[in-house]
Amino acid sequence: MGSPPAVAVHRLSKYFPLINLRRLLAGRWREGLWALREVSFELPPGEVLFILGPNGSGKTTLIKLIATLLAPTDGRILIHGQSADRSPLPVKQRLGYITCNEASFYGRLSGWQNLAFFARLHDLDPDAAIPPVAEALRLTEYLERRFFTYSTGIKRRFDIARGLLHQPDILLLDEPTTNLDPLSATELRRLLAEIRAQGKTMIIVTHRLEEVEKIGGRVGFMKDGRFREVSPRAGENLEELYNRVVGEEDHAPS
Amino acid sequence: MRLHKVSAFVVRDLLWDLSYPLSFFWRGGSIFFNLITFYFLGYLVAGSTAGHLSAYGGGEYFPFVLVGLALAGFQGVALTSISFAIQHGMYTGTLEAMLVTPTSLSTIVFASVLYQFVSALLSLLLYVAFGAVLFDFSLAQTNLGSALVMLALTLLAHLPLGIFSASFLLIFKRGDPITSLVGSLSALLAGVYFPLSVLPGWLQTVSFFLPFTHALEGLRQAVLNGRGLLELSTQVAVLGIFAAILLPLSLAVFSYAIHQAKRLGTLSQF
Repeated sequence: MGSPPAVAVHRLSKYFPLINLRRLLAGRWREGLWALREVSFELPPGEVLFILGPNGSGKTTLIKLIATLLAPTDGRILIHGQSADRSPLPVKQRLGYITCNEASFYGRLSGWQNLAFFARLHDLDPDAAIPPVAEALRLTEYLERRFFTYSTGIKRRFDIARGLLHQPDILLLDEPTTNLDPLSATELRRLLAEIRAQGKTMIIVTHRLEEVEKIGGRVGFMKDGRFREVSPRAGENLEELYNRVVGEEDHAPS
Repeated sequence: MRLHKVSAFVVRDLLWDLSYPLSFFWRGGSIFFNLITFYFLGYLVAGSTAGHLSAYGGGEYFPFVLVGLALAGFQGVALTSISFAIQHGMYTGTLEAMLVTPTSLSTIVFASVLYQFVSALLSLLLYVAFGAVLFDFSLAQTNLGSALVMLALTLLAHLPLGIFSASFLLIFKRGDPITSLVGSLSALLAGVYFPLSVLPGWLQTVSFFLPFTHALEGLRQAVLNGRGLLELSTQVAVLGIFAAILLPLSLAVFSYAIHQAKRLGTLSQF
């Protein structure tokens, strides 16, 4: 029997009940929103899956479910065969979630102090865990400066460093190049391509089609909470593929 | 709860506090100015309070209010620190970044407030130290053992209210009614600034149901009159009952709130 996929998502659905006092008083407490509907895919170790789709289509919900930040309404997620729902702690050790949110660091603390804090939460010795990751991401010279003094590009690299501290084999990235200038975005894509070459499994949510071209991998589309993996037709470029798939009425998995 | 994880939170908060050195030292300054205000207020009301304050040491207002002020700060931290830690984490996204590590939310929350409690304890000691050194506040009668027990019980009886408040925030994100209600009622009715005997009878009855009333009375009796734990058995029993009932209940509610927050997606929204 072969090894299980790095990530297996089976008929995953997520419903958000919309709770507020006005709805409750109006007797509309059952109202809500289906953010994901029966999403399924499998990703073998070392592969990259890009998730594209319009805003509000459920991409971030999907990645947060895989990162165990949300509980599924239905369906299941298996990480190397282990249920993310039932065994969240061992699953978290295999996942590196890059939040792409610079505010999720402590601005008054240095880069080292920030990484040391998160290293300890991963049961790691900061002196052993930080230097190799900082070197790989070319962050060593920035470690002693306070976090708020960094440019957005450097902050994003620290975000990736935080996700790599515990050497996970699966990386989850939510719009990694958002808000970066073209040079910083190019540099980051190069770093991500290097990480990919190390054999990491990656799920990347993005709006930037050049990410798919530069890093390479499978492409899946989210629309209205539904997921579909699509390959370009002969002669079709990514932009044409995106416009075709997002423009289609029916987004049921093929 | 692993010790190295807990120490990571304490180190983080200490570094954060030290990164604002002026604010760090100004805390001492604000305690001093608070005390000097009430010291002169004590002068103003001297002689007119004897009937109401005769049960507290020499019947003077300043020692009475000093204990009230010191413990009110401690109670404030017990009520607000957990919800503040959650709110800050949700607002900035640090909570999400911590939750993807193999660390439980309970560890994250309770370790996040440890530094606040140590800091509140230091503030309380600073009140006493300033009072003793600068304003002739006497500790000669103090029963240290009883005072420490009353502090511990104050924490255990009020922490559940902070946990209820945090549970509310986990689901509804804002508008926590518990902290403001209990905080305001305690400031007004528990006897921080004036003895309960000045209140009308029905308000005195209401004040009996506030844990802070018993915490204040117990600590004042321990610090100002040197009462032992046997003499404080009413206060110990009431605070103990509050803690014994509310602590497990609040932890169950908190666990339910975490489950609901994951279902509703409120952990990572603000």
